[in-house]
Amino acid sequence: MNFLIAQAPATPPLNFWNGDNATAGLWIKIIIGLVLGFALMIGLLFAPTRMRRPIVVTFTFLAGLFWMVQWLWPRAGEGVTEPTNATEGVALWLKDALPVVTDFANILTAFLLGLGIYSLVSIHGKRLIKKQTDWVFSGILLLSIVIMMIFGYADWLTRLGEGAAKVELVPGFWNRGRDLLFDGMLQQMDAAMFSLIAFFILSAAYRAFRIRSIESTILLSTALIVMISIMGAIVFMLDSAAAPVSNNLKLSEIAGWITGSLQTPAIRAINFGVGVGALAMGIRLWLSLDRGGVSG
Amino acid sequence: MQWADTGWINILFVLVLITAMLTMILTNIKRSKASREGLYIRRIAGLNAIDEAIGRSTEMGKPVLMVPGIGGLNAISVQALNIFAYVTRTAARFANPIRLCCADAAVYTVAQEIISDVYNKEGLADRYDQDSVRFVSDRQFAFAAGVSGIILREQTAATFFLGEFFAESLIFAETANSIGAIQVASSTETTQTPFFIAACDYVLIGDEFYAASAYLSREPVLVGSLVGQDIGKILIAGYVLLGVAFNSAQQFERTTDPDTQTSRPLKSDERLMYMIFNPDPNRGKPKEEEEK
Amino acid sequence: MADLAQEERTFGEKLQSLPRQVLYLILIVVISASVIASKFAGPALVLPNKPGNNAIEFYATVMNVPEGSTVAIQSDWTNSTRGESAGQLESLLRILMRRNVKFMVYSLADPQAPQVARDTIARITLERKLKGEREYKRWDDWISLGFFPNGEGTAKSIQSDIRKAFKGKRDVSPEGPRDVYQSPVLKNIQTLDDLGLYINITASKTIDVLIERLKFKPARFGDFEVKNKLGSMCTGVMGPETVNYYSAGLLFGLVVGLNGVVEMETLMENGVNWPEGKKTVEYAKDKQLVVPGWTGKQNYARGTSYYFALHTGMALLILAVLAGNIGMWLARSGKGKNA
Repeated sequence: MNFLIAQAPATPPLNFWNGDNATAGLWIKIIIGLVLGFALMIGLLFAPTRMRRPIVVTFTFLAGLFWMVQWLWPRAGEGVTEPTNATEGVALWLKDALPVVTDFANILTAFLLGLGIYSLVSIHGKRLIKKQTDWVFSGILLLSIVIMMIFGYADWLTRLGEGAAKVELVPGFWNRGRDLLFDGMLQQMDAAMFSLIAFFILSAAYRAFRIRSIESTILLSTALIVMISIMGAIVFMLDSAAAPVSNNLKLSEIAGWITGSLQTPAIRAINFGVGVGALAMGIRLWLSLDRGGVSG
Repeated sequence: MQWADTGWINILFVLVLITAMLTMILTNIKRSKASREGLYIRRIAGLNAIDEAIGRSTEMGKPVLMVPGIGGLNAISVQALNIFAYVTRTAARFANPIRLCCADAAVYTVAQEIISDVYNKEGLADRYDQDSVRFVSDRQFAFAAGVSGIILREQTAATFFLGEFFAESLIFAETANSIGAIQVASSTETTQTPFFIAACDYVLIGDEFYAASAYLSREPVLVGSLVGQDIGKILIAGYVLLGVAFNSAQQFERTTDPDTQTSRPLKSDERLMYMIFNPDPNRGKPKEEEEK
Repeated sequence: MADLAQEERTFGEKLQSLPRQVLYLILIVVISASVIASKFAGPALVLPNKPGNNAIEFYATVMNVPEGSTVAIQSDWTNSTRGESAGQLESLLRILMRRNVKFMVYSLADPQAPQVARDTIARITLERKLKGEREYKRWDDWISLGFFPNGEGTAKSIQSDIRKAFKGKRDVSPEGPRDVYQSPVLKNIQTLDDLGLYINITASKTIDVLIERLKFKPARFGDFEVKNKLGSMCTGVMGPETVNYYSAGLLFGLVVGLNGVVEMETLMENGVNWPEGKKTVEYAKDKQLVVPGWTGKQNYARGTSYYFALHTGMALLILAVLAGNIGMWLARSGKGKNA
């Protein structure tokens, strides 16, 4: 395919994975891709059951291997487009392949989103048709999906190319409609849901912070110090009172010590544990060591 | 000390650590497979509560709710689904209804496969309700509202919130608490763990979440991996101690200031550990030379 | 039976099991009253605040970034956290506009975030216009680059080649939509280190993405040294995690939550070690550092107006915890007597 690359314009950069628009080379690549894809699908469908696990294991390993190599392989220097040795060749190939592999993942996710929407429509559609309990809410949900899709798509059409900047200056019917639905309703409902947390924090703290043991007493005392340290006016008063005695007795100093010397190292330690756990989980998934986890 | 500014020492530093950890994990998996009695792992209270929670919902005839967080398909959500497979298996044996709510389409698809697989393996395929695994929404607070609605409408008796949770954690936990559901929760996000501790009955903190599948199944691969993880953590602690030792020793070291040519103690960014992780070829040169 | 049990409940038992609806009602009344009181009282209700080192370092760095340079603002918040994040962005914008520093704004977290940021910019621009200050013009002084769905990939390309990272993006210029690289804001930016500063205003974990992918060289603004050009303004909940990065020297400064907004507003009014400020804000780490403020200008704003509500809210939380504990203690001691 080198002849394609040599004749190609500078932008967009051409490589093994793409081709110039409407050229025979690109069509050949598309056809090879389609044939390989169908062959793979048919092969998987007709593969004997005992072969399925080795196939899945191989695919998982290869997919993981790409990311491992991508992470570990040395990068080609800035501005290098033609490899001068094998290391640079692999580095450049990996660089070209990265957006393609990411696209694979994005396309797969898009299909999966379709399945997700199917789940929603199927559950709520059934409830609506059979007029089960709360069917009105299901109806509102489905109606909202349809309206949002229409306005979202129409808005997207008007923003194509130079439209985006024009819409910023003079929004049209579809743009205003989408803004009303998205900014005027969805965003505000999001904010309302978020603000519920204030109420829940109060009721949870009232219920949970009880002096039942030494540990809970320590927890409550430190929590009180940190909570008071957020109230600037109180800190100001207490600090002024403590200043003549000792700087170490200032509330801001004590709260700072709790944050810097107790809380931060604890968070780091927990994060180390979580990181190592994710690493172990990752290696088990990559090498297919898990056999369905706890489901046996 | 310019040799510390090469930029590759820090990579070597990290690579050695990760390779050592991976070796420990794989070696212990092998050791666990070879061992007859299995390796020892300590008791985790939150995981003992899983059976208790399912038992209670069976007594009440109410569904068990599971939420694998709002993150995408990654090690965290897969681990959550692994634990949910165990919960589902126990619930399926008692013919208890389940609800598994997903915020990510990819997680939803994998969850559907895992859950239907659990019912099939238990020989209870007829008890599997396709609508029990649901995609609710991929917007954070729409998902929070949807799941809270399910909790309140269906009066779930046991709830499991395991995975990547953010601001919605307290909304779920308090809503479930308001109807008296027994709750087991864990978030890999340290910022959300306090909210779960305040509102839930049992909380798995930090990497206890990753220990869960090993604890529940006692499968040699998982138990071995868990032991390997712990050795990995000891290695990290060793690295941290090494850093502390170097930094403490260098507190007493003095250097000649390149600008004033006078002797002074080392600044924090002139210490070995800082230099290894922040390579800068211009360091140590006088200001004028650096600006050129 | 239930009624009988209700009647037999002692004061202690009632105090330790207040219905949640009562707590919610008290919270609504207290917070609403506090916000309304702040609104009417205005400057009379400016509560004292002592800025921490993290906020002082943030303020000092933003105040030292050279005039005319470009600051990247990655605005990753939406209306949900406007109580904290809006005040943070507003205070940052006031400083940048007063100091004639250019900026570009974009989001790697939420498709709605750029619109929310643009609305905030419009508010501050109008505020300046009403006060007769120079109008901050889109295209010449600031640009909006919109939303980038692949946060990790975009951060990676900003690091490797900032001239390609925003390729194809257009913004509104007086002549119509044009390529953003033609704007005076981005014209002279060739590498990441050409940026004056990179500031992330976030309600989530987006700072992790930047810490892992962006690497700034240490820089000097005159005599002022900057070890890292990355700074963060985050919500209160994200504070404890982000403090990790600040204390490890990976951030030039950190502003946390509503308290952080008030710290910024206090610093804007009084400066740092600044003799002309109404109050002295000391920076213990470096007593030689003097950073001026903007006494007499619109410094106290959103943060200050919510600060009283933060105090009453926290006081209510503490009172609720104390009430629960006193109730528990009374109930227990009562039981002891009966036995």
